[in-house]
Amino acid sequence: MASPAVPIPASRSVGGRARAGVDRYGRLVETWLRGHTLLVYLFLYLPIVVVVVFSFNGTQRRVTNWDGFSLRWYQVVLADKAIQGYLLNSVIVGTATAVISTIFGTMAALGLQRTPRWFRAPFDALTYVSIIIPELVIALASLVFFASTIGPEGVVTNLTGVKLGFGFHTIVSALALFNISLVMLLVRARMSGMDRTHVEASYDLYGTPWRTFWQITFPQLLPAIIAGFLLSFTFAFDDYLITTFVNGQGTSTMPLFVFGQIRRGVTPATNAVAAIMLLVTLSVLLLGQFLTRRRGATGRDTSVAGMIAEQGA
Amino acid sequence: MAAAVGDRARPVEPGRWRGRLLTGALMLPATLWYLVLLVAPIAIVLVFSFGNRTRIGGYSPGFSFDNYANAIRSPDPFLTSLFLSVVGTALCLLVGLPLAYFIATRATKRKALLIVLLVIPFWTSFLIRTYAWLLILGPEGLAGFIKDLTGSTSFRILGTEPGVLIGLLYGYLPLMIFPLYVTLERMDRALVEASKDLGAGRWATFRQVTLPIALPGLITGSILVFIPMMGEYVIPQLLGYGQVYTVGNLLYSRFLEARNWPSGSALAMILIVIMLAVVTVYVWLTNRGRTVRNVSVV
Amino acid sequence: MAEDLDTLLRRMAQSRVHRRGFLKGSGLAGLSAMIAACSPGASASPSSAPSTASSTAPSTGASPSEAASPSPSAVAVTETEGKLFMYNWSDYVDPDNIEKFKKDFKVDTFTYDVYDSNEELLTKLQGGASGQWDIGAPTAEFVEAMVAGGFIEKIDWMKLPNAALIDPQFQNFYKDDKADLNNYHLPKDWGTTGIAIRSKDVTEDVKTWKDFFDLAPKYSGKIVIVNSPGDVFVAPLKALGYSLNSVDPKELGEARELLRGLAPHVLALDSNTYDAKLATEEAVMGLVWTGGIDDLKEKPETADTKYIIPEDGTLFWMDTWVIFKNPPHPNSAYAFLNFIHDPEVQAKETVTNRYATANTEAMKLVPQELLNNPTVFVPPDVLASGKLEGAQDVSTDPLRVEIWEEFSSSIGH
Repeated sequence: MASPAVPIPASRSVGGRARAGVDRYGRLVETWLRGHTLLVYLFLYLPIVVVVVFSFNGTQRRVTNWDGFSLRWYQVVLADKAIQGYLLNSVIVGTATAVISTIFGTMAALGLQRTPRWFRAPFDALTYVSIIIPELVIALASLVFFASTIGPEGVVTNLTGVKLGFGFHTIVSALALFNISLVMLLVRARMSGMDRTHVEASYDLYGTPWRTFWQITFPQLLPAIIAGFLLSFTFAFDDYLITTFVNGQGTSTMPLFVFGQIRRGVTPATNAVAAIMLLVTLSVLLLGQFLTRRRGATGRDTSVAGMIAEQGA
Repeated sequence: MAAAVGDRARPVEPGRWRGRLLTGALMLPATLWYLVLLVAPIAIVLVFSFGNRTRIGGYSPGFSFDNYANAIRSPDPFLTSLFLSVVGTALCLLVGLPLAYFIATRATKRKALLIVLLVIPFWTSFLIRTYAWLLILGPEGLAGFIKDLTGSTSFRILGTEPGVLIGLLYGYLPLMIFPLYVTLERMDRALVEASKDLGAGRWATFRQVTLPIALPGLITGSILVFIPMMGEYVIPQLLGYGQVYTVGNLLYSRFLEARNWPSGSALAMILIVIMLAVVTVYVWLTNRGRTVRNVSVV
Repeated sequence: MAEDLDTLLRRMAQSRVHRRGFLKGSGLAGLSAMIAACSPGASASPSSAPSTASSTAPSTGASPSEAASPSPSAVAVTETEGKLFMYNWSDYVDPDNIEKFKKDFKVDTFTYDVYDSNEELLTKLQGGASGQWDIGAPTAEFVEAMVAGGFIEKIDWMKLPNAALIDPQFQNFYKDDKADLNNYHLPKDWGTTGIAIRSKDVTEDVKTWKDFFDLAPKYSGKIVIVNSPGDVFVAPLKALGYSLNSVDPKELGEARELLRGLAPHVLALDSNTYDAKLATEEAVMGLVWTGGIDDLKEKPETADTKYIIPEDGTLFWMDTWVIFKNPPHPNSAYAFLNFIHDPEVQAKETVTNRYATANTEAMKLVPQELLNNPTVFVPPDVLASGKLEGAQDVSTDPLRVEIWEEFSSSIGH
């Protein structure tokens, strides 16, 4: 992973002249890469800027109707316990789904290599089917499934007398399906081409399987695990179809609220919520960056960000 | 006494039966999820697809192939979805690959920040993000700007396929970038250096060193983008003004507007089977000629 | 004012309503069979008995015998269970009213879950989600399917004294053989579907749905239509002089031709932002609901916007309170329903939501300017003309489904 121990002088290496010639385009390519990256981030944040601007819309009702600058919708959001409840539910759903999907998806990615072929083929097929099935279909089918098993008149309820019904557990379970597959695919892509040399080395040095995993394998997989966690959270947090079909009383989330506003007109309340969330998350991020940089300067950086940075250095 | 390290038996590596236990334990949760929350619901959909609907909609028991026979009245929605998904995936790849490459190889200290910044926009609500796009691309935004520039009176971005593609690109970009990033990020820079030292140009290095390493991520990314795009209907409805009519719109119409669950179920089963075939062929094609070593890393 | 309205509305009840759609499928006997046979999960068994309950003569009576009968001796519920679980569209009850209810009736837990469409609510109930909420407010035509599926309770009028304040025309939404359905709902608010135009672009005097179709080619590419099959069928059927609930193949066939002619000229099927499209003149004519139209009329740049109730007839929709089957808190449910129709409370709802109320006493407390606003309250003379027709649940009719699929997939081309 490190660059060669002994720097190779360009003029004396084989093909050195060719290398010097090729690097004429180097600058151009680097500039293009940077420019492209910047443009993509601008593209991603352009609608967000519009969302934040419209959170200051002084309109009485419809967000598309601009009516001067005002903080009224921030006042509404900060005073409305129902909206805060919806937001909290979204966070709960998002976090729970992300945790479950990341753990089980990673486990499955690790275990899949060890399974016999007769297991792997159908399992792969199911993985793809979990992504193929349109969300509306799995939402409705999951509803019927839950209703007939753990619903008030379901089979399981009648057999055991335990009324599970609908709620966070049904939402998270249904959302975790797609996200387990997602994490699994990400970790598998990361693992592809990885070999056992480090693992073998660790065993040779009398490392236990547990320590081997945590000190050798896990750090290598970490970017994929984090990526999976972030994506799962995002999908579960902002999910509409599955959530609305299998939710229970008291578990409505932000997406349900904003879609439910369509009938009477979507207000800037959701924009205000989004703006507040952006403020919080960006502050936390920047704070984290600041702290990491300080720690990195003083010594070995064992924070997650530092480890990721180390991987690619 | 001073035997070589490798000579001794490895007392702590799991034995065969403990290995099987480990495999089972690792696979259990995901397998359980698939069986309970995927296979069972799909079985329900399958049963529905052979049934009848009641007068008020929904499902009533029955057995007939009518729903399958009547599922597809016209190929247009499929073709539209196919077009959008293929072009959309290609766009995601073109836009996403350089970005993933940059973050993976050039952004040493800020990797985590850049990665998290990619998803934060999606923590705002989908509907208001789309309203923002309606404003940006609409007659008061970009389309209006271009209209003034060219003097055209009927230029439109929204309500056309390009408008929908912009929305799809926006919504699905992270799904393409993350798989590419996690594979590219493992790339040993020494390989690239070595390739250049041996005289390969940048493009050749990219093609013969970088791309093969990125390939697993590319395959995963294209599957994760292409497949859900096929079922997408909200973005075409909102940004396409309903003029861009997809298979997703058709499913929604059958299930929720006509409340004909058997008909919708039949359509869904057909879609699932076709897509599964497509994915299987795609994965098989891209895995040919690659030595995929199935080696356990635990 | 209320008395005149009463008389006028009673005359409206005498308007001819197309009956063939009602006779299709089960009659009242079938309904009870379905309720009895309801099983968990998705199935509601098809009706066992065909309709036997009707003659062919159109009804002329003002109120059928089995109609809802709010009783003057009803007594309001005062003791609640301390909780209420509502399932409704977002922001559909004035927050101040919610607070007042919580205070007056000592309800400390008032949860408000949200859905975004009737179809979704019904599909969820059919899928097995029933039993979790106390009250909701679907659109009236869905009450039929909900009763058939056994998802809502029959209302005990003895517990709702304020129900007597409801104008019978709205309470008796269902007619003839379906009149018993009126015992399952309590009107919330109502409005119309109509034509909106930017009169500075559309200079013609648009008065009817026929005008709408005639002008479509001229304003091609500048027409917006709400994405709702139940509303879209109103235009051709009324232009042809038929009932908007028709399921007659011949009539639907003629409607289909009109829709085929309209499709290429439509810019968008948009239920969310049709008002924004009218504001920017991306669309200059539309088949729309009233939401957002008032905002356009109030702004100087878009003050030329007009909302027209077509003279060849149009749809009036009504959202109505229902009590879900086996409510966890029945006392709270009845307490709320009675509370919401307290005239002052209901008047506040009308002012906040800007939808017309069906409560005659509340109307006396509503500001005059709202009463005079045709996008909110329909002018008395229009009501009297009998041109407004209530929608029935016919969206599942196979021919309608086919026509809608064809129309919605071919707009703009």
